[in-house]
This record gives sequence, structure tokens and C-alpha cells, in this order.
Amino acid sequence: MKRMFLAIFVIVACGMILAGPAVNATGKPVKLGFVYIMSGPFATYGQFAKRGAELAIDEINKQDGILGRKVVAFFEDSTGKPDVAARAFRKLVYQENVDCLIGLDSSGVAKSVVPLMNEMKTPLIITHAATPDVTGKVCNKYTFRISVNLAQNVKAAALIASETKAKTWTTVGPDYAFGHQSWEYFQKYLKELKPDVEFMPDDKVAFAPIKTTDFSPYITKIMHAKPEGVLISLWGGNLIDFVRQASEMGFFSGKWEVLMTLGAATEVLYALKDKMPEGIWVGTRYWFLGNDSPVNVAFREAYFKRFSEYPSYNAHGAYAAVQAYKAAAEKAQSTDKEAIVKALEGLKIELPVGTVVIRAEDHQALTPATWGRTAADPKYPIRVLNPIRTFPAEKVTPPVDKTGCEMH
Amino acid sequence: MVHQKIGRILEYPFSGLIVFLVLGLFVPLVIPTYWVMVVTEILIMGLFATSFNLLFGYCGLLSFGQAGFFGVGAYVTALLLSKGVGSYILICIASITATLIAAYFIGYLCVRRDEIFFAMLSLGFGMMLFTIAHNWREVTGGSDGLPLSTVPPVDLGFSKISLFHPLHGYYFVLAFVFVGLCILQVVVHSHFGLMLKASRENKERLAFSGGNVASVRLVAFLMAGGLSGLAGMLFCIFNRMATPDMLHWSFSAKPVLMTILGGAEVFWGPFVGAVIFFVLEQLVTNITENWMFVLGLLLIPIVLFFPRGILGTVLNLMKSSGRGSHGQ
Amino acid sequence: MDTFAINLLNGLCWGMLLFLISVGLTTVFGVMGVLNFAHGSLFMLGAYVAMQIMEWIPNFWIGLIIGPVVVAGLGIFIEVFLLRPVYRRDVTFQLLLTFAVLLVLDDAVRLIWGPAYHIVDPPPLLSGTISFFDQSYPLYRLFLLCFGPVVGLSLWFFFQKTRWGKVIRAAALDREMAEGVGIQVPRLFTLVFALGTWLAALGGALSAPYQSIGPSLGEKIIIESFIVVVVGGLGSFPGAFIGAIALGLLESFGTMFAGRVQMALPYLLLIVVLLFRPRGIFGKEV
Repeated sequence: MKRMFLAIFVIVACGMILAGPAVNATGKPVKLGFVYIMSGPFATYGQFAKRGAELAIDEINKQDGILGRKVVAFFEDSTGKPDVAARAFRKLVYQENVDCLIGLDSSGVAKSVVPLMNEMKTPLIITHAATPDVTGKVCNKYTFRISVNLAQNVKAAALIASETKAKTWTTVGPDYAFGHQSWEYFQKYLKELKPDVEFMPDDKVAFAPIKTTDFSPYITKIMHAKPEGVLISLWGGNLIDFVRQASEMGFFSGKWEVLMTLGAATEVLYALKDKMPEGIWVGTRYWFLGNDSPVNVAFREAYFKRFSEYPSYNAHGAYAAVQAYKAAAEKAQSTDKEAIVKALEGLKIELPVGTVVIRAEDHQALTPATWGRTAADPKYPIRVLNPIRTFPAEKVTPPVDKTGCEMH
Repeated sequence: MVHQKIGRILEYPFSGLIVFLVLGLFVPLVIPTYWVMVVTEILIMGLFATSFNLLFGYCGLLSFGQAGFFGVGAYVTALLLSKGVGSYILICIASITATLIAAYFIGYLCVRRDEIFFAMLSLGFGMMLFTIAHNWREVTGGSDGLPLSTVPPVDLGFSKISLFHPLHGYYFVLAFVFVGLCILQVVVHSHFGLMLKASRENKERLAFSGGNVASVRLVAFLMAGGLSGLAGMLFCIFNRMATPDMLHWSFSAKPVLMTILGGAEVFWGPFVGAVIFFVLEQLVTNITENWMFVLGLLLIPIVLFFPRGILGTVLNLMKSSGRGSHGQ
Repeated sequence: MDTFAINLLNGLCWGMLLFLISVGLTTVFGVMGVLNFAHGSLFMLGAYVAMQIMEWIPNFWIGLIIGPVVVAGLGIFIEVFLLRPVYRRDVTFQLLLTFAVLLVLDDAVRLIWGPAYHIVDPPPLLSGTISFFDQSYPLYRLFLLCFGPVVGLSLWFFFQKTRWGKVIRAAALDREMAEGVGIQVPRLFTLVFALGTWLAALGGALSAPYQSIGPSLGEKIIIESFIVVVVGGLGSFPGAFIGAIALGLLESFGTMFAGRVQMALPYLLLIVVLLFRPRGIFGKEV
């Protein structure tokens, strides 16, 4: 029996040591918990987000913090897996006692962990995951999104597509929910705008598994389908591989319109540099040259000064979330979680991307969607957008009753 | 002397279960909330690894598709819960039955293969199940999986207990895991357990002495599958989700890792491996983002210097030191 | 017809790349009995090191020659210090050990080169395209298509016709006997593992102008090369060749016709082959 007590004692002692940081919970600082992909294939997104978050927090702490309190950040790795992300949330909420959660890259992860917020009773600001469902079908009181969602991005794509001559459309996308939803929404929106368009049947669209590195069969398939327009919802490494292999095979010869929903992501443009064809319509969630407002110029320059690169949309997302939290805390004059939730609803804030309002009904940010045509510019090492098309939020955001969100 | 005593206690077949139950009942009362949740996960993964080890440690069959069954359990649970089924007994029966059906078909085709061929075949089948979960969007929710907005309370007759409270969730999981481990413990100490070991040590001899290797293995495959399904059910309830990741081969690698860490030759090896794995992961991620690097670096010496896994090697040392003091 | 031809070409190119990766894996297994989980990571490392060398000395061929040799050096280190102690143990220990090496290498790559994606240009000589059926096709892919069989044939020649090759095969068949006639088996094994690593890295370096380089390169490729090796028959060169081509073609034609099932095709191939030929297409039956 003695031994048993000893064993219990040892475990308890270990537990207490491990739980050490929890003691600080009664201290002064405002605690923000970030959950991004920090390791594995998509670690680059976590790295960008961390940069954006640190930039915002350093700026805030250099002034007088949030409500006079210092801001501290806790970063956790979601590894892109829902169960790991859930554990990261538990750690941040129950152990670090954070005041607000920020993050999430993968749509699948976001959709799976959002319901947990009901139990954790902690506000979550999503900054990257684009699935319409987290501010739609599975929306809840504690979940917000500051970034452009799939519906907004694709609506802008449909608006551009409707201006072109192309009548028959097909798609190349990743073979998971994001790719399929992008195509589904695109068809719906474009049909509304231009009823005489046609969409290719299932055997003439291409969805490549996310681990694909050789896109030649997909490129061949689409080229032989002879479309007039192609919507490409590949992103990250997939998009880089696709663009390189497709340009070698003559895909970008101008025979059809090409729209890439995430083609203006800086990690893609930096990797491809002059391999990115010119004159292609590309979308993004934030474009660093999108406007010359003082807020944007300051963000762009501070980011470039610190990291010698132009900010990606994921850096902007994390930066924006921290700023939104600060604005909400100042509006509520408190960091109480329920008060923050209330203050975030309907919050209007100047962000680098433009003026953004968080819609009270579904918690989706009404944020402008940026598209543009790729162009070379000797001033920049990467392709830039020229012309830039900025679609105001009210033109691209689906009305609340169309989102499927029922807030409880 | 102390070693000797422990060694002797450990040789009683069911002492492990008693220690497990006592620790399981009291530890969560004294650790912080977050750690209660980590221990809940350890219980689930420990059951998963121990059921995997019925195949690996006792039959010598390295299953690289065990996550497939774990996932079937999780998906059936999620489907039933999202349809509004509130009885956990019913859900438990349904998910184990579904898993058994899957395990029967797959096992029937797999158990005649050995070694790496069994491993690759089970990997293939596991990935087939993964593909179904990932691509049959109408039923499984595709890559997003099935998130559960809530889980119903447990109806104990006299009162309803919400699983939202971390401690309640913990004891709920503990109850199922304890039953699962009891079943496994009884199995490995039964006549059937001996036949399993015989099938591992010498297939031909078992066959000569009238044992049917394939059917012995198939029964073990079904048990391992069913209990993996149970673990999957608990994982789904605990995380309020079923996602395709749970069926992927990289998820199947987890019980393999845990089992070899803890020791495949002892019943509690996989469980201890699960504890070590989670505690290590927590410690490492606290210090660095490069946890894969550190985990790899820690794993190398463990594989090199603990040939029987950590628990296996430690027990071996105790036994031999015990024997040594006997001699004196 | 032209769709068929282009798909055939696509499948063969991808198959060649798979072959280059799998041939090292199958060699190491055939001779040493080790199934190397870290093979994909060594493939990735080959791509990264070649890229780094090409950055310092902007010449593709120099990177292609030096890169894999550097990685092979690491292979020697892994064999001598890590694999040697576990040869006599169960195959699962080797799997676990090489899995640990995989974890270390994958993260090390990210620590050294960062998580961003990189691309490498094909050499000027091979950067053009030629036209097939009113579609342009990159020359570099056709180069790969020819290079694969060259590597395969030279390896086959090495193992079948040269003295060294025969010695290695003898050691693989019966280690004790080989030691008895005075062959230094440990040194031989080191050499074979270095060869396997070199092949993996060569595949990586060759794949660099074909696909983007990122820290997930190894993880994506390892299961597919396992499938190739097992389908073809463990330790068999012709098996690896046939397996790789079969998988390449299956994936390119699958894209065209299989629709939703496509993701499952490699696993279906694996299952079907193992059910009907338990030791793989070229594996020796027991």
C-alpha cells in the first residue's frame, strides 16, 4: 500500500510541475492563445501567422497594451489534425487560462473543433480556415472569423467570370471539402449572374488528392476537356507544382480564362517568382498593395522591415485578429469573455485590408475580397496584381439567411 | 528485496488491473483539469494500443491498418449521435458490431499472410476504409468528417450526468476502458491466449497439433478490431468528432509506436507506452515547436537500448535482479 | 487516341520517378533485410541538398552529382551507428528506428531550410518543350523517362555481372557462408546502404525540377514506394520497375476514368496483388 501512495504522490508531483504555468493565471497580462499549423507540410502557414501575431502584440505592448495591461501570447501546434487542435485548445483554455483563442488554418479542423467552444466558453477568432460552415451550419456564440471566407472569395471569382466571354467552365481543385465547395459555390453564384453559362460534368473536372505532386494527368484531362474557363482552387505547394507543370504543358497559352482563388498568396508568388504566368486572374484574402491607407502602409512597412518579405494573408489574419481583440476589449472596457463576445458582435475596425465589420448575426467579418491580374513589376521580386479589383464586402458576402447559421 | 516483491506482485495476472483501477479512480482527483483531459486521451489510446498488441505481441502480426477499425467505431458513433440516438449502450453495441463486420471481412483475407505482407495488406485495407471515410461525402461528411455539436448526458436511471464536465467524461471513458482491458486480460490468460502465443512461436507445430492457425488468428483479429472500435467510439465522444485522420495510416502508426515504446511482450507494455508517449509529447511541445525532431532523437536510444520496450526491459531487470538475490 | 498517348506518357514519367525512389528501397531490403522508413526522407534530403548546391554553384549537373553523394555520406553514418545494432532484431525494430530517423530528418530539413516551398529549374539543355498531338510536353520529363531505365539496367548489370555485385548477392543469400569465405559483410552492408541512400537522393535531386521542394516531400512518397516494392516483390529489380510503371499508369489513367475511387487505386493494387500473389509479382513463393 505504501508503494501505491508513493506512486500517486509521484504522479501528483509530476502533474503539479507540468501544470506550473497555470499559477500565473491570476496575474495581470491579457493572454491570447494561438493555434496554427507549426510543423509538417503546411508549417509555413503557422510561421506567417506567428509573425503577424507577434508584430501586432509588440506594437500593442510598445504603446500601453490592452486596457493598460500587457499582452502575452501562447502558441500551440495544431499539426493540421482536428484531435491535436482540440487538445491544443484544451491546454490553452484549461491550463494557460487564455482570454481569447485565435487561429486555425485547415477548414476541416475548424469545422470539427468549433463545437467545442460551447463548452470552453471562450471566444475564438478564426483567421485563415475558409469553410463557410463555421459561420454557417455549425456557427456558435463564441466563434468569429476575421478573414475572407470561401463564399466571399468565390463570389468575387464569379463576378469576374461573369465579365469574361467564357461560357463553359471547369475546375481543378484539391480533393477535399475545400476544393469541392469552391466549385459548388462558383457554379451557384455564376449561374445567378449569368444564366447561360455551362459547367462541365463530373468526368471533366479534376480534383487531385492533397498529396499529389505530379499534376500532369489532371492538366491533360482539363486541356482535353477544352473548356473556355477554368477555376483553380489549389493552394500552397499543390498550386506551385500545378502552375509550373501546367505552364510547361502550354496550359496558360491564353486559350481559356484562368481564375486561381488563392493564386495571389505571397508564399506561392515568392516560390514561383517569374514562373508565375502574367495576365492570370488570382484571388487572395489580403493583398499587401491592395490599398494605401495609413494602416495598411504601416503594417506592410513594419512587416517588411522586420521579416524582409511582404506580408502574406495569413500574417494579416493573425495581425487583424489581435487588433480586433484589442478593439473589442476597449469597446467593452473589459476582458471578460462574455463581454468580449458581445463587443466583437458588430465591431467596426480599421484593418490593413480595409474597414471591416463583424456581422453580429453569423460572426463573419464583412471584409473586402481582393482579386487581380498577375503582372511583372521591376520594383518587386514577385508577381504583383495589376489591375487590382477590390470587391466591397456587401457585394460578395452572402446574406445572413443564406448562411444557414442559427445562433443559439 | 523490493524488486523481488514487485516482481512477484507483477506476476499475478490480475494485479495489473487492480493497480490500474486504483490509479485510474484517484489520479484525476488530484491533477489539474487539462491533465485530466490528457489522461482521458491516454486511457483511450492505451486501450487502442493494448488491443493492437493482441495481434502484434501475442500473434506476431504487425497490423498497420488498425486505425481503420478505430475509425469505423468513431464514425458509427458520430452518425448515431448526430441522428439523435442518446443511449450509449446502444451506440457501444452498434459501433462494436460494425467494427466486427469490417474486421471479419478484412481479417478473413489478411490472417493467412505473415510479417511484412500482413503489415502491408492491413495497411492497404486500412487505407481503403480511409478513402471511404474521406470520399463518401454524403454519409461521412468527406474530409471535414462529422463534427458533433453536443453529446447527450449519460442516463444512469436515477440521474443524468453531463459529459461536458472533464471529470465526468474521464470516468465515463475509464469505465469502458477498464471493461475493455479486463476482456483482453482474461483472453490472454485463457487457453485461447496460449494458442495465440503458440501461433506466434511455431505456426507449423500448432497446425500439426490440430490447431487451425488461420481461425485462431481471425478470432484475435476480431477481438483486436472490436476493441479498437470501442476505443474509436470513446475518442469520438471525447473529441466530439469523427474525422478521416482517425483512419489514416499515420494514425495506425501511433499504437505501433506506443507498443514498441512500452514493450510488446508484456500485457501492460502498450499502455505504459501510451503514457510515456503523451507525457513526452506534452513536455516536448512545451519547450519547442520542433517536437518531431526531439521525439525522434529520444526514440532512437529507446529502440537501441530498450530492446523489450521500457516496461518490458525494466520488468526484465527486476526479475533478473530478483533471481540474482535468490541465488545469494 | 491522343488523350491515351499523353496519359501513357504522364504515367510512364511518374512511374520512372517512382522507380528511382523504390529501387534503392528494394536493394536495401533485398540485401540487408531492412525496410527503411526513412527512405522517403533521404529522397527529400537529396532534393534539398542538390538545391542548396545549385544555389552555390549555379549548375544543375554539379548539384545532381554532388548532392546525392553528400546524402550517401549521411547514409553511411546511419548504417554504422544506428542500423548495425538492430540487424539481428525483429523487423519492427528496424521500422521503428528508421521511423525515428524519419522524424529527425523531416524536422531537421525544416530547421535548416525553413518551411517555405522551393523550386529548382531544369538545366538549360532540358528546359524546352516539344510538341505532341498539338500539346507541348516538357523535355525534362522525357529525359526522366530515359534516365530511369538507364539506372535500372546499370544496377542490374552491377549485381549480375560484376564481381562486387555477385559478392553482395552471396552475402544477401547467406550471411554466415559469406563471412566464412572471408567477405567482410559489415563493410559490404554499409556500402549497400550507402548505395540505397545514394539512389534515394538521386531520385530526389532528379525530381527537384519536376515538383516543388517542401518539408513534406518524403512523407508523400514513402507509402507509394512501399507499395511499389511490395507489389513488385521485395528485393526484386524487375519487380520494382514493373510495380512503379504499374502504379504510375494506374494513377494517370485513374485520374481520367476512376473519379472518386481514384485515391484508393494504389491501395487496391496492393491488396489485389497481395491476395493473388502473396509475395508480389516477382517475389519468390515459399
